[in-house]
Amino acid sequence: MPKKVLIVDDDPDVRLFNSSVVQELGYLPIEAGDGEEGEQMVAQEGPDLIILDVMMPLQSGIRLYRALKTDPAFADIPVIILSGISRRSFMKSQEALAAFEGGAIPAPEAYIEKPADAETLSSQVEKCLRGA
Amino acid sequence: MTTIKKMLFASRFQDLTFDALEALLDLRAVGLDHVVFLYVVERDKVAMYRGLGYQKSEEVKLKEVANIHFIEWAEQLFEQGMEVGVHIVVGTLVQQVVRAAGMEEVDLIVIGRPTRSLLEQLLSGADISALIRRTRIPILVYKQLPLEVAEKGHPFTRPLLATDWGSAAGKAQAYLMGLKGIVEEINVIHVGREKDLDSLSAMKVQQYRKTQREKLQAICDAFEAAGIQARPHLYVGDAYEKIESAAREWRASMIVTGCSGKGSWQERIIGSIPRLLAEKSDVSTLIIPK
Repeated sequence: MPKKVLIVDDDPDVRLFNSSVVQELGYLPIEAGDGEEGEQMVAQEGPDLIILDVMMPLQSGIRLYRALKTDPAFADIPVIILSGISRRSFMKSQEALAAFEGGAIPAPEAYIEKPADAETLSSQVEKCLRGA
Repeated sequence: MTTIKKMLFASRFQDLTFDALEALLDLRAVGLDHVVFLYVVERDKVAMYRGLGYQKSEEVKLKEVANIHFIEWAEQLFEQGMEVGVHIVVGTLVQQVVRAAGMEEVDLIVIGRPTRSLLEQLLSGADISALIRRTRIPILVYKQLPLEVAEKGHPFTRPLLATDWGSAAGKAQAYLMGLKGIVEEINVIHVGREKDLDSLSAMKVQQYRKTQREKLQAICDAFEAAGIQARPHLYVGDAYEKIESAAREWRASMIVTGCSGKGSWQERIIGSIPRLLAEKSDVSTLIIPK
């Protein structure tokens, strides 16, 4: 059974691109179109890796990331953030949420600013799943 | 207590800019922690053209340009610990505002001043009345605050409540009552119709004034009991003109009005008071649908 990679992004073109990269590497891509759907699919599918956008309808990647990392059941799933939002803003937002709600959150396994090229995404996916 | 936890900010960028958003961030005092951005690529900009077909490349370009704006804004909000959502879609403005507001279950819709002509609006169905008829969510039609008002606060600091004594106006009153944390002072206005006074004696006119003032004072007393300063004002004449001039006279940061949403055909063509205020007034207008 190939490892599952959950792609959470509201842009269907980005999902298609990411899915094809993941498939090329021999993994099974599964897709969600917003943060809420993404959270449901994490619980249902138990993915081995998540490629997560930040700006989405219903729930942002920032809140989803925090929800995952504060839940012991999902905290160990590696996450690659793939977004137009800068890494600096992402980390600052996590710090702000930690200040309000408590509980510091670790940085994601990888952070790629959009647009991602296939090579960069492939290498980060492999790094997360194989430690390569 | 009125809660504004989630706000839909439907921007076309030239009408609603980041400073408008910043002016509304004081709503965090009444629970705001989630802003949903909406940009609608109007269908006619990417429509089918003879020989060219659907303008897909134009759609992609317009969406990416909107995305660039929203990324800048979203970063500012994310860094303050706020939640941000984004919808960038092709369609008609009213339809997409209603769709996004329903999907996201927002508490407030913020839009810029409608810029289309009356005829264009009637043809496209994109006018403010169409929006009011299709949603029960309060709608803030945002206009840039005059400098002397902006210096004193945000749109909710000094609202002017226009009442016609109807149930929609009562709902608007209750809505403002729940915003105690951010509303500092309210001016309450009723505009009497001149024709109602035509055949009255001086004493009857005075009696009319007294009765209307008492009703206004009762509203003000309710606000004061809730901890919000309030002043009553009675005007007589054309409702739109008098509300507009009272807003300037009392340096209102925003006009608040209820709306039944069931305008007559005549109203739909000529314009209801909320619609006129939304479209013509230079002051931001908060419309509370019934």
